[in-house]
Amino acid sequence: MAELSTPHRRWTPARLDVRLKLALLCTASLASLQMQLYGLLGLLLPFALLAIARRASLGARIRELRWVFWILALVFAARALFTEGAPLVSLGPVAVTRQGLQEAVNACLRLALMFVLGGVFIGLTPTGEIKAAVQWYLRPIPGVPAARVATMLGLIARFIPVIFAEAARTSEAQRARLGDRRRSPVGRLATFGLPLVRRIVLSADRLALAMEARCYSELRTEPELAARGRDFLAFGLGLAMLAVALAV
Amino acid sequence: MVLASLFAALTAAGAYLAIPIGPVPIVLQNLFVFLAGLLLGSRWGAASVAVYLLAGIVGLPVFAGGTGGIGRIAGPTGGFLLGYLPVVFLVGRLTERRPASGARDVAAMAAGALLLYACGAPWLKLATGMPLSQALALGVLPFLPGDALKIAAAAVIAKSLRPLMRMP
Repeated sequence: MAELSTPHRRWTPARLDVRLKLALLCTASLASLQMQLYGLLGLLLPFALLAIARRASLGARIRELRWVFWILALVFAARALFTEGAPLVSLGPVAVTRQGLQEAVNACLRLALMFVLGGVFIGLTPTGEIKAAVQWYLRPIPGVPAARVATMLGLIARFIPVIFAEAARTSEAQRARLGDRRRSPVGRLATFGLPLVRRIVLSADRLALAMEARCYSELRTEPELAARGRDFLAFGLGLAMLAVALAV
Repeated sequence: MVLASLFAALTAAGAYLAIPIGPVPIVLQNLFVFLAGLLLGSRWGAASVAVYLLAGIVGLPVFAGGTGGIGRIAGPTGGFLLGYLPVVFLVGRLTERRPASGARDVAAMAAGALLLYACGAPWLKLATGMPLSQALALGVLPFLPGDALKIAAAAVIAKSLRPLMRMP
């Protein structure tokens, strides 16, 4: 009988009710706009360590996020070079100012915090639960078809791997026909994009037919969302952390 | 609804699908936004982009680099992302319920591209603190040739795909 009984699941931050997690994420994103250096560092470091600890390979994570470093570098350079104030170093017509450096560090930490919090959230939450939480939040808004939006979110998650598989197939087929040697850039774009979108539209058509054939409707049985005392306690602790980060 | 979801997924995948042309590879994201406007029309095109943005904002990894979250919207490229919504609506509005015409498609997408720059460049200026001239030089000018190519390619693709689409 042991295998028929529900296994005891230990509560961890990953099992925090997804609606509270989402609310905490949005609050943190908004609060970070008012935080200063120490508050931002105090929040960023533990979550960055958590994000790193959850990855098997730090190198792979850094490779995946290399574009984030480019964005941070752009924001840092722009803030440091174009903010007026007392100059520290002159670089030809522009100068790095003390105020610019402060602004640059704060802006980069704010962005990094939002990236890290988003990464931790997505790493700790199954897509189905996020979909259910979005539906729960949208339901009271008049004129917004919450169930349809949730279904569309599910379909996006289903289509993305299909698109990548089709894109790889199309690209290989183009290379086999020397399509990558075509000189006209519009021709190269069209010969890649046209078969790709055509195939995917046809596969979407087949999916729509299959859904109709199975009487698919937007009224699905969604994952059960339940917030218990421990969830509210964790939420309260999260809010307290944000309040401290705002105060320092 | 399935086609709108499909175009939202294409927009997400478009950030990774790059055609190596010249020194800057062409990323297909706004090509799919233009196509959503041309093929789905203003209402479903806007629904497609709105759901894509919502998916990204709530944390699904649909923005460039496989990330999501409100951080991307607050970042330097947030204006371009949010700008997709009025752009797809405008492109759809200018082309729907009219006889198909390549010239009209191109004109609608050119207007859409201008609107996208009008949303993206000031946001880039705000997020980075750089002057508007620098924001234009970094966020608009390098992308003009690529966007012209995408508009031309989208017109060809839309002409070929219209017979396949069965929008309500």
